[in-house]
Amino acid sequence: MRNLYMIYGVIVLGLLGMAEYRGWSLASVNEVKNVPRSVRDNPGSYRSVYAVYHHYTGGK
Amino acid sequence: MSTGGPNPPSTPHVKAMNCPSCGAALSLRSFTQAVSVVCDSCHSILDAQDPQLKILQQFKKATGEDPPLIPLGTRGRIRGTPYEAVGFQRRTIHVEGIPYSWHEYILFNPYKGFRYLTEYNGHWNDTSTLRALPTLNSHTGDVTVSYLGETYQHFQTAQASTTYVLGEFPWQVRVGEANEVTDYICPPRVLSSERSGNEVTWSMGEYIAGRDIWKAFSLPDGPPEPIGVYENQPSPFSTDTKTIWTIFGAFAIFLLLMMLGFASFARDEQAFQGAYIFDTNARSEASFVTDPFELKGRTSTLELSTTTNVDNNWIYLNYALINQDSGQAYDFGREVSYYHGYDQDGSWTEGSRNDSVAIPSVPPGTYFLRVEPESDSGHGTIHYEITAKRDVPQFSFFGIALLALLVPAALITWRSMNFEHLRWAESDHAPMESSSDGDDD
Repeated sequence: MRNLYMIYGVIVLGLLGMAEYRGWSLASVNEVKNVPRSVRDNPGSYRSVYAVYHHYTGGK
Repeated sequence: MSTGGPNPPSTPHVKAMNCPSCGAALSLRSFTQAVSVVCDSCHSILDAQDPQLKILQQFKKATGEDPPLIPLGTRGRIRGTPYEAVGFQRRTIHVEGIPYSWHEYILFNPYKGFRYLTEYNGHWNDTSTLRALPTLNSHTGDVTVSYLGETYQHFQTAQASTTYVLGEFPWQVRVGEANEVTDYICPPRVLSSERSGNEVTWSMGEYIAGRDIWKAFSLPDGPPEPIGVYENQPSPFSTDTKTIWTIFGAFAIFLLLMMLGFASFARDEQAFQGAYIFDTNARSEASFVTDPFELKGRTSTLELSTTTNVDNNWIYLNYALINQDSGQAYDFGREVSYYHGYDQDGSWTEGSRNDSVAIPSVPPGTYFLRVEPESDSGHGTIHYEITAKRDVPQFSFFGIALLALLVPAALITWRSMNFEHLRWAESDHAPMESSSDGDDD
């Protein structure tokens, strides 16, 4: 049991080290490839999956 | 008795006799050391010390047959010494009117004498009589005994009666005979005292796996599966619990050092900063791109912070971090909203004027941001500032890692506690069970 836990702990710390070194994050980001260079001249031509936002109007 | 030199040890022979009650052949395996012998056929208990085999007790069939798991006459090795199973008895205690029975096997070696194996619900103990007396320690409400430097906790005291006998016994056995039996435990050992009148006999048992008994006596098939947790059954978790918490402590310290290391060595470098105004009344295209900026170093996080002046309002920023050379983009959206007011409960606030997000694994290169703000129209202008920082340590991972290390340690501790709870539930010191409902009624 203790050996298993030791191995498990080393894996957890190893993953943590890799996550920090490689710059992993929990944020949800959508990667898009080959965005045309023309976007600099015409920013409105680019629409991402996050566009057309519907704001939540409930709450207090 | 020989008066000459010592005779060479001979192979033990079984002494043959006949039962005076039914005439069946009797075999006496423990020779002159047997005090009582039970006829296999009519179950009469006979005085083995008497040449006429005086009948001590007629066995009542009503007590029921209870065949031993180790047949009498079976030979095996216990701790390297050969023994033969010569006797068997069932003993019963009553707790709250419920009978609980266990079995005792009497083993014999002509040179070592008697040894005992006990079995209850598939749990076995290798037992021998003590040569020295344990020391009784009576503290406030907590009775323990000490023996050979170990402290044994009181487990149970009960009246045990003999309910079935078979084979030979080194004492005058009687069915129905009752003794006060007290057990003290220090797993995997148990000290038992048996009080019969003024006479107290102490014995020590050590938990032994059924499969080891089966192997020692070369018994066919397998031993019965143990049921529940036995009083001196060693916990499979007790040694691990302490060690695992020690390992957890070491891991936690290492985690802290890692956190300090990453916090110290992270570049945490500002790569871009820009201030902007969003006019919610404007009907023109709101999206724009920033000036290009350089992200240096290895592939790492890019933390993008948004600071606004929203007041009872919201702004949604649709971001795209675009690599100028490769055309690779990281799309994400962030809402920044801040509301406040006053009601019957007092003042309240909701949300925040600031937001921060870490974009994962951004390779080095030249980037620019495409920003597209949104908000309800007619709310005037919203000022906001965007700051991009390179290689910022993500402390949330350290929290997750700590939790990941904590969960198995807590789980093992819980299982260990549960094991002990089950052990002591069968004792005179059973933990109080909480009632299923309250006492509201």
